[in-house]
Amino acid sequence: MNTGFVQSVRALFALKPKQKLTTQYLFSLLIAVTLAFLVGAGLMLLCGYDPITCYAAMFKGALGKPRAMGNTLAKTVTLCLTGLAMSVAAKAGIFNVGGEGQLFLGALAAAVVGARMDGAAGWLIVLCSLLAAMAAGGAYAWVPGALKVKLKVNEVVTTILLNSAAIYFCSYMANGPLKTADRGIATGTDSIASYAVFTPLIPLSNLTTGVFYAAGIALFVWYLMTRSTVGFEMKITGTNARFARYGGIRADRLALWGMTLSGMICGIVGMLEVFGLHHRFITTISSGFYFDGMLVAMIMRYQPVGVILMSFFFAILNIGGSAMELSAGISSEVLLIVQSVIIFFMAAEGGISEMVRTRSAARRLRRAARKAEKEAAV
Amino acid sequence: MSEIFNIQLVQTTLRTATPVVLCALGCLMSEQVGIMNIGVDGMMLMGAFFAVLGSYLFGSWVMGLALVMVVGVLLGLFYYVFSVKFKSDEFIIGVALNILAGGLTVFLLRTLFGVKGSFSGPGIVPLPTIHIPWLENVPVLGPILSGNTLLVYVSWLLVLVSWLFLYKTPLGFHLRASGEAPEALRASGRSPEKMKRLASVLCGVLATLSGAHLSLGYLTMFSENMSASRGYVAVACVIFGGSNPPRVFLAALLFGFIDALGMRLQKYIPSDVTSMAPYVVTVVMMVIVVLFRRSRLAAHAKKLG
Amino acid sequence: MSDSAPIVRFEHVTMQFPGVLANDDVSLSIRAGEVFALVGENGAGKSTLMNLLYGLLQPTLGKIYIKEQATGARYDPLRAMALGVGMVHQHFKLVPSFTVAQNIALGMEPRKHGVFYDRKRIDAEVTDLCERFGLPLNPADVVGELSIGLQQRVEILKALHRGADVLILDEPTAVLTPHETDELFEVIRRIVADKGMTVLLITHKLGEVMRLSDRVGVMRRGKLLGVLNTAETDERALAAMMVGRDVIFDEFRLGSPGVREVLAVRGLMARDDRGLPAVKGVDITVHAGEIVGVCGVEGNGQTELMECIMGMRPQTGGSVTLNGLDVSRRDPRAIRAMGVSWIPEDRLRTGLSERATVTENLLVGKQRRPEFSLFKVHYRRRNAKRYGEKLAAEFDIRSGGLDIPMGSLSGGNMQKTILAREFSFDSPVLVISQPTRGVDIGAIEFIHEKILEKRNAGCAILLVSADLDELFRLCDRLVTIYEGQITGRFDAGTIDKQQIGYYMTGGRQKGAEGA
Repeated sequence: MNTGFVQSVRALFALKPKQKLTTQYLFSLLIAVTLAFLVGAGLMLLCGYDPITCYAAMFKGALGKPRAMGNTLAKTVTLCLTGLAMSVAAKAGIFNVGGEGQLFLGALAAAVVGARMDGAAGWLIVLCSLLAAMAAGGAYAWVPGALKVKLKVNEVVTTILLNSAAIYFCSYMANGPLKTADRGIATGTDSIASYAVFTPLIPLSNLTTGVFYAAGIALFVWYLMTRSTVGFEMKITGTNARFARYGGIRADRLALWGMTLSGMICGIVGMLEVFGLHHRFITTISSGFYFDGMLVAMIMRYQPVGVILMSFFFAILNIGGSAMELSAGISSEVLLIVQSVIIFFMAAEGGISEMVRTRSAARRLRRAARKAEKEAAV
Repeated sequence: MSEIFNIQLVQTTLRTATPVVLCALGCLMSEQVGIMNIGVDGMMLMGAFFAVLGSYLFGSWVMGLALVMVVGVLLGLFYYVFSVKFKSDEFIIGVALNILAGGLTVFLLRTLFGVKGSFSGPGIVPLPTIHIPWLENVPVLGPILSGNTLLVYVSWLLVLVSWLFLYKTPLGFHLRASGEAPEALRASGRSPEKMKRLASVLCGVLATLSGAHLSLGYLTMFSENMSASRGYVAVACVIFGGSNPPRVFLAALLFGFIDALGMRLQKYIPSDVTSMAPYVVTVVMMVIVVLFRRSRLAAHAKKLG
Repeated sequence: MSDSAPIVRFEHVTMQFPGVLANDDVSLSIRAGEVFALVGENGAGKSTLMNLLYGLLQPTLGKIYIKEQATGARYDPLRAMALGVGMVHQHFKLVPSFTVAQNIALGMEPRKHGVFYDRKRIDAEVTDLCERFGLPLNPADVVGELSIGLQQRVEILKALHRGADVLILDEPTAVLTPHETDELFEVIRRIVADKGMTVLLITHKLGEVMRLSDRVGVMRRGKLLGVLNTAETDERALAAMMVGRDVIFDEFRLGSPGVREVLAVRGLMARDDRGLPAVKGVDITVHAGEIVGVCGVEGNGQTELMECIMGMRPQTGGSVTLNGLDVSRRDPRAIRAMGVSWIPEDRLRTGLSERATVTENLLVGKQRRPEFSLFKVHYRRRNAKRYGEKLAAEFDIRSGGLDIPMGSLSGGNMQKTILAREFSFDSPVLVISQPTRGVDIGAIEFIHEKILEKRNAGCAILLVSADLDELFRLCDRLVTIYEGQITGRFDAGTIDKQQIGYYMTGGRQKGAEGA
């Protein structure tokens, strides 16, 4: 077989977390964000909108009222959990791009279990649904993980393809065998008893008591990744799996567990959506939430604390976007463009700063040489 | 059975496989120079949009394709600059490009056409269908080989051309060498970066053309996210085609067949289930290919040792 | 010869890499028709200087003249070739999946119909070229399947095909057997004498400099210290100049091996990555307190042998026993737990994680010990840090801090990090591959002392090295390996380097296969 091809597949397998966050990196991030906003502003001007009004509408829409603030925080929770799900697998050197499908399956499992248990104690319903969501999400991540570990099947491609499969499957279930008999619901499963679902913390907002579960999970993931012995082993595996194996670490098992844990977290995100917002499974339960979280994770180089903070910023863009659309009239997708510009800049950060360093070093040397020549001439 | 397995099935197979074929050929070029291009899905989407835009604005499919190619060249250069010049993670760039494509097309759809969801209309001129006079009346072969849209024939031609290019021309050698041993190429006085740029641009053009087939050939409309992960399927095809154009073509045909079969089965099975099939089959195929390669390697070793 | 015009001239050449001054104001003239050797330690700037000459890099400052023509700002390998400069790189610049002819023609393929590759023509040209220079090769062979010696021949032919009359050879003998080296030198002498070529030889093997060159230039830390006539100097003076101080390699005393058989490999078989048999029934035993050296040309199964012993590669036959316990088919984790440490040959792929910190690299393998892990759950970072500092001091690891990524250290310090980690397990068995590859002379001395310290403490050591000097210096017993089989077994002092070359290239000692 062609070796060039093998190499590039190998390069794909070698996708690994980049190094730590540094001050320089955060500075570049600031520049990237500024530039991205400028690009967004340019687009707005081109389309005949006033950027300042638009951005003002965005921030006001995301942070202006308690209700808006609640929605932004709820979005932060989703982004942060999906981002951490990506990070936990990436840390162990395996890439879960299939979180969207795991999220759907987790949501479906939680909704079905929750609805079937109608009449049981509230805490029991929540617990069982949580476990069901974890099992569904985890199992769906385990499969590509095992394929990668045992057979070296590229997990990036399989997880992406399994996303579509899961979403169609859930849609089939919600339209077919599990369709609710409730009137006025086009597609969706039976609803969960109102005493079991999460209660809003801020009236009329999406922020519910589910945030406490999320905080617990975030804390757990942070501890696991940065303070535990397993986290240490995951880091070694993620940076060089062969070295990890050589050093007596069960690299394959860790990667598989990282993947499964990632799937479990995605399942939980689905469950939180069901119990917090819709109270049943609907086919529009998520619109690419996982991909947003994944990008947050990649920008912050899979560092848990960074992911949590960056999620808030992305949530502002996300929630503020629809408000901006309503009041300023510009399509909210412009913010999606802003987001991707940030990512492009950040992904290129290493290369650009290296280029700048090399050039400035050469320039300095040349200047020094010219000076020396001049002095010698004098 | 005859309602499902008939000539129309073959026709649909060819038609649905075409975007994947074109896109996979693009991916293959990129793979050959060692750039993992996961952004082809976004490129396809952009291609679909700009094809409609060009066709609608100028009232001509030629202009549609021309616009698409310009966009393809730009996207290819963009991918090249980020992945090679700035040494960014190709995976991140690819995913971000897909997200950008999703956002940009919807944004433009709303700003330029003022519609949400999808855009269709009499103003869009579709690609011409080509009827081959003497072939048209041959039974079985006639309806299959004649009467397809332009890009279907182009894709068949490109399979052959890209194979000749990669394996029979010096330029193709340089392209392959720039992926396998870039330093060897550099030491021979050729720039691997130039080859990577060429491959990346070819990839951009082919991927966007595949989108043009979606929106001007297969359908005559643009709808949000109409690439529907086909770009990823193309990446998978390249993986099991072992980056050999004819084998990649067969892999794409298989995908097209599953897709077409699913569509015909919608009468009997819910559409969600049939839509699921291509993705599941692709994953299963990836596993089978790995198992097959393994057993072949083992047999090879046994023979020797 | 001294009055002939310089064919290559460097004038005040300076090369700045980010953070490294690779060449510092180098001025040098090469005469036509001479063999000029350039010596220096790793990182002294020899290769950089030659890459500048070949146009792979652009000098930050200064000028290079070839045949009195200044190389401009747009100088590149294509122009270098046009001026008659050819280069054979240390790591061959060949495309493994291409044929010999395709590689030789790369970048200047003849075309037919203006588009297609003209296979017939180039095959004929290559056959002709091979005959002219007396270097036989089959143009249709795939390069990746050729031996290292033949691959080098392809590289030389590639340069000659492009009409080179100045040939740069970068560490050409590093991967060759003694016999192949002799052959190469024969070729060099012939092309210099018959075809009037000029050869630039980069090396750090001083014996070769003395054998082959007319003049020698010595580099250290980017500077050219001086140019000497080879006839007027000796190895010792050159070594002192290279390192900046006198280097005296002490002769070490042999160990006193115990009778206890610690590591026993019997009838071991394994395949390489392509699925081909690489180890074909190897028997080796190592006793406590001795060093057994495995010598052979690289790629004769040493890598696979070591990986098999450590459980990194499945074995297809035979057994490995440790203190009488069968450890065949166990994973590295289990084998380590039984008291084996391993220094692998490929530092970056197996021995380290470039992106983890120095401390983390030092800790791997011990992270579940109670002092670093509370209830095997909580990672005790402070203890790990303290431990890292202790080891770094003990093994003289020089880095800009222990929390920086491993990848920013020099090769020698990386190797010392691996050594520190593996030796601090206090394992009774050590398996060591290429311990001093790419390491400075100063660090080599240190590493050799540490290995001997271990032997004197009673460790059983199996050592694989491509460096015969190293093996002869350290080992109590030697075995030779050729194509995955043991071809000879010798006690130290019963054989010399020239004789052992015979067994490394397929010669067989009577009864060598048995234990």
